[in-house]
Amino acid sequence: MSGGEKFDVIVVGGGPSGISTGYFLAKKGFDVVVLERGEDIGTKNMFGGRIYSHVFDNYFPGWRSEAPIERWVEREKFTVLCKEDSISITFNKESSSEHSSFTAFLSKFLKWMANYAESSGALILPGVKVDRILFDENGGVIGVEAGGDRLESDYVVIGEGVNTVLLEAMGLKSRPSPDDVAVGVKEVIKLSRNVINQRFGLEDGEGIAEFLIGSPVNKFYGGGFLYTMDEYVTIGAVVKLRHIYDAELNIMDLAELLRTHKYIYGLLREGTLVEYSAHLVGENVSKLYSGKPYGDGYLIVGDAAGTLINTGFTIRGVDYAVESGRLASIAIEKSHSDGDRSEKHLSYYKRLLDASIIGRSVKKFSRVSSLLSNPRIHHQYVDLTCELFSQIYSVGEESPSLREAFNMAKRGRVGLLRMLLDLINVWRSL
Amino acid sequence: MDILSVEKRLSLVRFRIHEKPHIVIDVSKCEECDYKVCVKACPAGLFSIDDEGRLHFNYEGCFECGTCRIVCPNEAISWEYPPGGFGVSLGFG
Repeated sequence: MSGGEKFDVIVVGGGPSGISTGYFLAKKGFDVVVLERGEDIGTKNMFGGRIYSHVFDNYFPGWRSEAPIERWVEREKFTVLCKEDSISITFNKESSSEHSSFTAFLSKFLKWMANYAESSGALILPGVKVDRILFDENGGVIGVEAGGDRLESDYVVIGEGVNTVLLEAMGLKSRPSPDDVAVGVKEVIKLSRNVINQRFGLEDGEGIAEFLIGSPVNKFYGGGFLYTMDEYVTIGAVVKLRHIYDAELNIMDLAELLRTHKYIYGLLREGTLVEYSAHLVGENVSKLYSGKPYGDGYLIVGDAAGTLINTGFTIRGVDYAVESGRLASIAIEKSHSDGDRSEKHLSYYKRLLDASIIGRSVKKFSRVSSLLSNPRIHHQYVDLTCELFSQIYSVGEESPSLREAFNMAKRGRVGLLRMLLDLINVWRSL
Repeated sequence: MDILSVEKRLSLVRFRIHEKPHIVIDVSKCEECDYKVCVKACPAGLFSIDDEGRLHFNYEGCFECGTCRIVCPNEAISWEYPPGGFGVSLGFG
């Protein structure tokens, strides 16, 4: 590694965006190395549990039979968690056999991606942490320093993830604020395939993706998730860091409080917890994406460039990160063939991003984060919904009409005008 | 219903501990801090306050998420990733 060898491109970080960059560049014939600080690929990566398949269908031939897919998402469920009760709506996709997303474990999926990229000629080295990015006297990137070794390259692509420690240390990015990022906590629970199929009404290979609001995640104005894997279920919650300051709970207890909510507990009983973990998640989409993801000789990809989008219903993380790596490879190919590594030339990457599904989604969903911070969504409206259903279905001598039940549920919680304004805001944000 | 302690949950995860802490707290900046939000925010529960109000921190069991360095209002936390191959090692992710 030392001793004068020079690469065309060094990629910092072996996550979805970094491996993608390595894969697409290797396919174009570049001499590329991906440096990953974890002892193995995937060991530092964590997510909720779902990946959208379009980018793999388009650019990874044969992936559907090779990749470690847990289950194809056939059911989308939304659940309001009351203190003990719960209310669910399920969308069962029966009309189309098209598979657009699947559940997976990110550590395993990345190991597959890394093998796939290596077969195309990318060199992937785990256990190597990049300590510094090296610049020449004119401020252009010339390589990296990793564990005391100096590695030179024509280009450096940084895919270090949402926790941008290296970029901040190099003065290429400012530290995110507590309003910009959220923390996700997650548990993996082992259950048998048959038990999962029975409890969730699934066949082998069919999965469910569930979005949760209410108790206990509303203590932090956060949201929860549940995904079925082949023989595991993942559950967790995502909380904007700003909302931790005044909360009465500790984040470390949140995943367990969620797991032991009556609704979840019933689904997971006799399951065994096999992993607990935590990771940051981008939240303020427009701010995180607004930075300059390029400079003289370098590009920034994936979460480090703010490519994760929360649409309010779905989170697009892995697929957009992979897409950003593909766009970076296009910009580098053009820069290389034009013989121009300047910041001005590499700004082409930003134009590619803006015109892509990523840039378009940033514009479309820029208001979702502030919408989901509306405390009434998490408390008054959750309470109101719970009370409404409780009134409608607690039948004694006389059944209440819907209007009576609604008026009883609404009492003392929120006025009609306030509700109307919130509804308009929801409509405009989504 | 049984709530598992954070210690029990951390025992399920592989951590390859390096002798040199990757996170260092300047506790002199914590004496005047009213929030001590790090204690509430760390998903691994690695921050604690003793009877005399002093802040304690243990870097072993860190998920390297970065939450503490972003919530700290006093910039009391100097934060680096552990050396290559060290730190948390997730099997599922």
